[in-house]
Amino acid sequence: MTLRSPEIVRLDLPARYVYLHLVSESLADMLHLAEGVADLETLIYKVQLATHEVCTNIIHHAYGSFDRGRIVIEMILDVEKRLLQIDLYDTGASFDLASVPIPDLDQVRVHGYGLFLIRQLMDTVTYTAAPDRNHWRLTKSFCARRCQTI
Amino acid sequence: MDMKTYSAGEINVLEITGRFDASTVQPIATWLEQTTSTPGARVLVNLTDTTFVDSTALATLVQALKRCQQMQGDLYLCGMRHPVHMIFELTRLDKAFSIFSDKERALQAFAK
Repeated sequence: MTLRSPEIVRLDLPARYVYLHLVSESLADMLHLAEGVADLETLIYKVQLATHEVCTNIIHHAYGSFDRGRIVIEMILDVEKRLLQIDLYDTGASFDLASVPIPDLDQVRVHGYGLFLIRQLMDTVTYTAAPDRNHWRLTKSFCARRCQTI
Repeated sequence: MDMKTYSAGEINVLEITGRFDASTVQPIATWLEQTTSTPGARVLVNLTDTTFVDSTALATLVQALKRCQQMQGDLYLCGMRHPVHMIFELTRLDKAFSIFSDKERALQAFAK
């Protein structure tokens, strides 16, 4: 199947870990629509893990003990531009993404890999804290099989 | 997530099927805490059928490794799928853990 217009999937989920597999499955299903992608398995894992880590950050840090929060996730796959864009919105506490230090990977550490992985796995990561809601935007481009890198 | 635990001689083996992440971590963390708290424990975590590992899973494994080492034990990993191994490489945790391609090689390494 060839997609002529961007494929858009929106999820509006309670901010609970138990629902995060739905996000992973949606991303995998969408990317399987893009034909001829190089190393599709790795690409899927990268975007699944980065998106999952944003969600766990929202659940654990933005909402914390508030158990009625929600996460709105909009995933846009543009096959012609070979680009996946993921927007995530929450109404929890905000933070300063730029102030989070890069972990010293020469030290074996228990915590601190989440944001590092998000930044490493995606092409661009932006976070905007507004009065009404917080907005993450992740983007990832992908290549055809003849392309050597993703 | 399904977890299966058994003993192979003196080695405690944990096999995780499916997702190993923030939503499934609790029973795995409990088993690892109990098992690695024993002095000289030898523990093998088999990830052959583990489809997804997140930073919570990494933290749980690192905690278990550190506890095991403090108790003069060993904790090995085996059977990682390529994308999971990529995450260990990115975080350089592939240098911290002893990682084997399959269960047989890991069990042989314990025997040495």
